[in-house]
Amino acid sequence: MKIWRWIVRRHEIDRDLQDEIGNHLSMAARDRVDDGADPEAARLAARKEFGNVLRTTEATRRVWRGGWLEWLTDVWQDARFGVRMIVKNPGFSLVVIAVLTLGIGGNAVVFSVFKGLALEPLPGVKDSATLAVVVSRSNGGRQVALSYPDYRYFRDHNESFTDLAGCDMAPLSLGLGSRGERVWGEIVTGNYFQALGVHAQLGRTLSPADDVTPGKHPVAVINDGMWRRTFGSDPAIVGKTIQLNAHPYTVVGVLEPRFQGSIVSLVTDVFVPLMMLPQLFPPDRLEHRGMRMLIVFGHLRPGVTRDAASARLEVQSAQLDADQPVLNMTYRSHAIPIWQSPYGAQTYLLPVVSMLGGTGILLLLVVCANVANLVMVRGASRRGEVAVRLALGASRSRILRLLLVENLVLAVPGALLGVALARVLLPFLSSGAAAAAPMRVSLNASTDVWVLGFSLLLSCASALVFGFVPALQTSRVELASVMKDESPRGAARSRLRSALVVAQVAVSLLLLVGAGLVTRSLIAARQADGGFDSHSVSSVAVDLEPSGYDSQSGRELVTRLFDAFAASPEVESASVAAFLPLTLVDGASRRVTIEGYEPRSDEDLSFLYNVVSADYFRTLRVPIISGRPFERRDDEHATGVTIVNETLARRMWQTPEAALGKRLKSGGDWLTIVGVAQDLKYARLTEAPRPYFYLPFLQAYTSSLTLHVRASDASTDILGVVSRQLHATDPNLPLLTSKLLIEQTRVALSPYEMAAGTLLMFGIMTILLSALGIYGLVAYTIEQSTQEIGVRMAIGASRLDVVRQFFGRGLTLAALGMALGLIMSVAVTRLLAAALYGVSATDAASFVLATAIVAAIALAASFVPAWRASRLDPLAALRHR
Amino acid sequence: MEPRRDQARLELLQGTLDMLILQTLQWGPQHGYAISQALRVESHEALQVETGSLYPALHRLERQGWVKASWAQSDANQRVKFYRLTPDGKKQLLRERDRWSQLVSVIGGILAPRRAKG
Repeated sequence: MKIWRWIVRRHEIDRDLQDEIGNHLSMAARDRVDDGADPEAARLAARKEFGNVLRTTEATRRVWRGGWLEWLTDVWQDARFGVRMIVKNPGFSLVVIAVLTLGIGGNAVVFSVFKGLALEPLPGVKDSATLAVVVSRSNGGRQVALSYPDYRYFRDHNESFTDLAGCDMAPLSLGLGSRGERVWGEIVTGNYFQALGVHAQLGRTLSPADDVTPGKHPVAVINDGMWRRTFGSDPAIVGKTIQLNAHPYTVVGVLEPRFQGSIVSLVTDVFVPLMMLPQLFPPDRLEHRGMRMLIVFGHLRPGVTRDAASARLEVQSAQLDADQPVLNMTYRSHAIPIWQSPYGAQTYLLPVVSMLGGTGILLLLVVCANVANLVMVRGASRRGEVAVRLALGASRSRILRLLLVENLVLAVPGALLGVALARVLLPFLSSGAAAAAPMRVSLNASTDVWVLGFSLLLSCASALVFGFVPALQTSRVELASVMKDESPRGAARSRLRSALVVAQVAVSLLLLVGAGLVTRSLIAARQADGGFDSHSVSSVAVDLEPSGYDSQSGRELVTRLFDAFAASPEVESASVAAFLPLTLVDGASRRVTIEGYEPRSDEDLSFLYNVVSADYFRTLRVPIISGRPFERRDDEHATGVTIVNETLARRMWQTPEAALGKRLKSGGDWLTIVGVAQDLKYARLTEAPRPYFYLPFLQAYTSSLTLHVRASDASTDILGVVSRQLHATDPNLPLLTSKLLIEQTRVALSPYEMAAGTLLMFGIMTILLSALGIYGLVAYTIEQSTQEIGVRMAIGASRLDVVRQFFGRGLTLAALGMALGLIMSVAVTRLLAAALYGVSATDAASFVLATAIVAAIALAASFVPAWRASRLDPLAALRHR
Repeated sequence: MEPRRDQARLELLQGTLDMLILQTLQWGPQHGYAISQALRVESHEALQVETGSLYPALHRLERQGWVKASWAQSDANQRVKFYRLTPDGKKQLLRERDRWSQLVSVIGGILAPRRAKG
């Protein structure tokens, strides 16, 4: 509207001005006629007296100039000119746009991942970024989840949150007749879907009415993916019955497509009411304050800060501890932002993503330096045009603006193509994280309006960075020198270009060192076994209870399986375990009482544990450093035994040997320690040693098991062997997952894989760009001194001398850049420490290798143009220009 | 015989045109041609204001709000743009007159030093 009014006004001013000047002329003529002049002569005299009508009109019109609209039309004009320049110089434009595309694309990839984590951690949930998560700290200093009584108390006395909901994430066995599948479920409070604002696309979600009486609400809601995958998008799914952990549940709804669950980056398939937890996972410990399984979250009320909410939670937890004390334990709750929540993939992805963001900026700087070089070279060839513009009366600031707008015009296609590149690259990145995880990981990383906006902003910012200095130089043309066809400010110009090349080399060395460190971390992590040997070991999950086994028949089945495997020449050893190692998430933990040990009041004796069968340690090749492994005689009739890990043994009894024969209790009877096993990495490769204990399968029966069977020969298809044997033993027992253990533990590598892949990609991009920069500079210097080369050769310089002169120039710059890059690397790589594994931040191999690569590429990039200079025909060179 | 205009013509000092226009408008609204004629007559033909600077100056004053322009019928029944002094313009005129007399006395003092400095 404003623009339209302004256009009308502009026309009015013009018309009035014409009238005004016309009146002036006719009045002046009339005066002369009144004085007795001839009308025609009077008209001419008046005109003559008035002077140049056009110039007066222009000058007057200019009075009304200014304002941002006027400015906008100028910019529009410049932009149109810029587009014409792009079309006229397709070579230059394509190179600039290509280089920009690389830089913007790399950053768009990183931003897409970051945006997913930071802006929309939970897809399909409105304002999920501002959710607060409530966690507790035990007196032992451990961060733990909430118990149901804690949650209920906070919910009923809630003043800080609009709503408080909670969930427990757990694997569930989904049974559909004879078929079975292991799925991830969230066992959620009744207000869960209302609190998140998530709706059903079919049927309904759960409501508080579904979460009243323990064990009385066998209803489930499934997600879109599971509906399509497992139920073939059955439109009549609502009302059908599915089996969850061998109990019948009625499907009441299918959720909206985008919603994945409330744990960042993890996909949940099934949602059931919290009141069904005792049925799904007996025994009923819902009312037990020590059972910390609920992840609780909610939006803060308007005007309530997180600190205020935390303070209130603290007070309420103290009240709870007083009202419902747990032996030796206190739990203090507070609120944290969702991106700091220990539950979900953000815990290990955010450090990686921030590191990648940093390197992305470095890549962009190299890109800017590179483009600045190109723009500067072209600026030199446009001095003639600029001189003409100046001579015609354009101001320097106007020319500066023209040149900057031209760069912006180049930046826009760079941004668009960069986003397109990110679209191509992103699937590779996310697939790495999702590949073989025991749970489905889904990065909420997609290119959307946010990414497009970010890319446009970034590329316009870079256009200003790479365009400003060259434009300043170009606009500072001296008319006289252009007329004389001198090359102006050659020294200053090439000093700046040299500095840019040095900076590029330095940054690419830094990035390559970083890429080297992270790649070596990945190699080290790949080779690392986490304390066990996962090669040629199966990881086949089954759940016995849904197929009709009780604890007695289950034990018998597993024993029968072991006997069959023992008879098979293809199998070296076979075992079962309740939990897998190295899957990024902690398994279960239990509170332990140790005989003759009085824990300090603030001591938290909750340890992670596993239930394993006799040959577990042999199958995974975990050394028993003292005592003995479990044996078949450790069955339900024998005395209770346990095996502890080295850390637990040393913490309680100083030496592994001293632990033997000591007793501990976790729930039931006293268990005698019969062995001490070497530590493993239980969840993450980077975790610190932590206490852990094992219970024998025959004494601590669990229905949900993973079969670890080691092949006697690496070439054996161990998964085939296991599935055939399982089928032979019980044809109706479904395999929930069937993978190699090494595939399952690969998820622990995903952060390193992501970091190494992206850093390597960035490193290669920057070194190529730097090569381009060195090459361009040397070639340009040669172009500028072609005549000089001709003279030198004419008076007897050899080709070798010429090569030496220019080659040396490229090398000097590269050496300077490398020195600077090494200094930067030493200073910066220590920031990478969090993302490194098994290598120090000053790892010599990475430094040497990166330096060698940069040196080799710098050599090549300076040698090629220098060699070409030496092939110049001296006569032609002398006549150059 | 009328003296030839360009012989006696004086160049206007930078910035004085605005003040002269404001001064001319003191006696009532005028159109552009009348202003240029008035300046010529008042200066006894010594000042010939370039129309090339008069109109930009008028529009500048209008933009700054020191004069207000309106269209009206002239005696010759033409649609003519008249300029009128605004209250702001009056204040501006006073300011410029002060500055001018200061300038004249300072410059005059330099050009004709009556008393030698002791």
